[in-house]
Amino acid sequence: MDDITTRFDQCLRRHLRLLKPGSIDDTVGLVQLGLDSMTAVALLMDMEKTFDIRFPDEMIVEDTFRTAGALKNAVRLLLERKAS
Amino acid sequence: MTTPLRDQSLGSEWTILELLARGIVDDPEREMVRDLLLADSLDWGELLEQALRHHMVPMLAHHIVSAGLRFDLPMSIYQHLESALEWNRWQIEVFRREAVHVAQGLAGRGIHFVVTKGMAFESTLYGGLGTRHMKDIDFMIAPRDREAVLSVMQKLGFRPFFDWAKDPRREEISSRLNPDHLPKLARAVDEPGTRTIMIDVANSLTWTKSPFDVPVEEALKDTVEQPVPGMPGVGLPCFRPMYQFLFTVLHLFREAWLQKFVDFGNDVSLMKFADVIRLIDRNRDALSDGELLRTMEVHNVIHAVAWVLGQLDETFPTHTLQMLALEKHGDEALLASQMQSSGYVRASGQSMRERLQSKVRGSSRPVAPAHSDSHDE
Repeated sequence: MDDITTRFDQCLRRHLRLLKPGSIDDTVGLVQLGLDSMTAVALLMDMEKTFDIRFPDEMIVEDTFRTAGALKNAVRLLLERKAS
Repeated sequence: MTTPLRDQSLGSEWTILELLARGIVDDPEREMVRDLLLADSLDWGELLEQALRHHMVPMLAHHIVSAGLRFDLPMSIYQHLESALEWNRWQIEVFRREAVHVAQGLAGRGIHFVVTKGMAFESTLYGGLGTRHMKDIDFMIAPRDREAVLSVMQKLGFRPFFDWAKDPRREEISSRLNPDHLPKLARAVDEPGTRTIMIDVANSLTWTKSPFDVPVEEALKDTVEQPVPGMPGVGLPCFRPMYQFLFTVLHLFREAWLQKFVDFGNDVSLMKFADVIRLIDRNRDALSDGELLRTMEVHNVIHAVAWVLGQLDETFPTHTLQMLALEKHGDEALLASQMQSSGYVRASGQSMRERLQSKVRGSSRPVAPAHSDSHDE
């Protein structure tokens, strides 16, 4: 488990009501876990707050939210950019 | 359409607003409103608050002023209403000039567009009396023209603007994820009483990921030119009545059905129903000739439209379902399956009439039970 996974998973669980306890499968579509347009906005804002990042316009697209893995990669990328 | 309202059980203040929203049709109704306004028991605080919530202050003011009640009402209230009406008229004039300016810019780039909602309705459905509240200017374009329109608007001094919202970042993200509109655009102006002009450019008659849609391109094919009051020889393109009706009703449906609009404080208002009533009244023949029915069937919007009209008929009461031969449609369970979510209104146990009057909306209202796979937008 890397450094962001715990906080990332907690953040996901706050918004996706269909997530089951246990580890989160990075390949499952977030829509299947209850993501809709409202929760997508709330989730993204929560990620920004949790990790002190800001999603640029080009990343605020559906592909960013396609799966937990895709979203986690996006968060990692923004954290790397921030650190550099 | 013109059956008297059923009852006054929600109070005389509410009855006044319902009658004004539906449109006063004869002298007995006019007399009834006059009596209600002059009754000692009238709660002006309640009437003004509800008129504000439902964007009906100018309409109420116009009725009171034109009924000659200057010396029959508390003077401070009368003067305030008179000022509010004058200010609304001024604001509409400013908006009209701006709409024409933007329209010229868009037409200059060969962009096909129409004005919608307040700008389209004020001078037609509301007789140009300055009684239709407007908070912005609404345009409709085709999705393919989004970038070109943004470019024109920026040249005209407009910029994406999110600070109007309680949570600007939320609005910004939401706007990016739901590309049925451009981001709200604003331009600072130096007009008395109007510091900012906001423009809302939609590119869908429904919303992102709606299970049904009426293609904008189809609606934009055959538009009508509407004269602009006070500007001889100048017109603004509008949808022809059938598409104006479809857009207005589907827009109302969106606000009435989808939880997010309630949560964001954009729940339906009496004024939106007032628009629909007037649209049907004014275009009864055009909407009853069979083309509307065929178009709704082709685009699978018949249940959503009938549901809105059903709410309208229950609320006022009117007979629009019957008038448009839609009595067999609008089944809420069928619509819920189409939307993949339960009907918000029914799920809350309130009638539309009660919902409209209620000041407790949003989080304190029961939320429709979610389906396991619900993602209805």
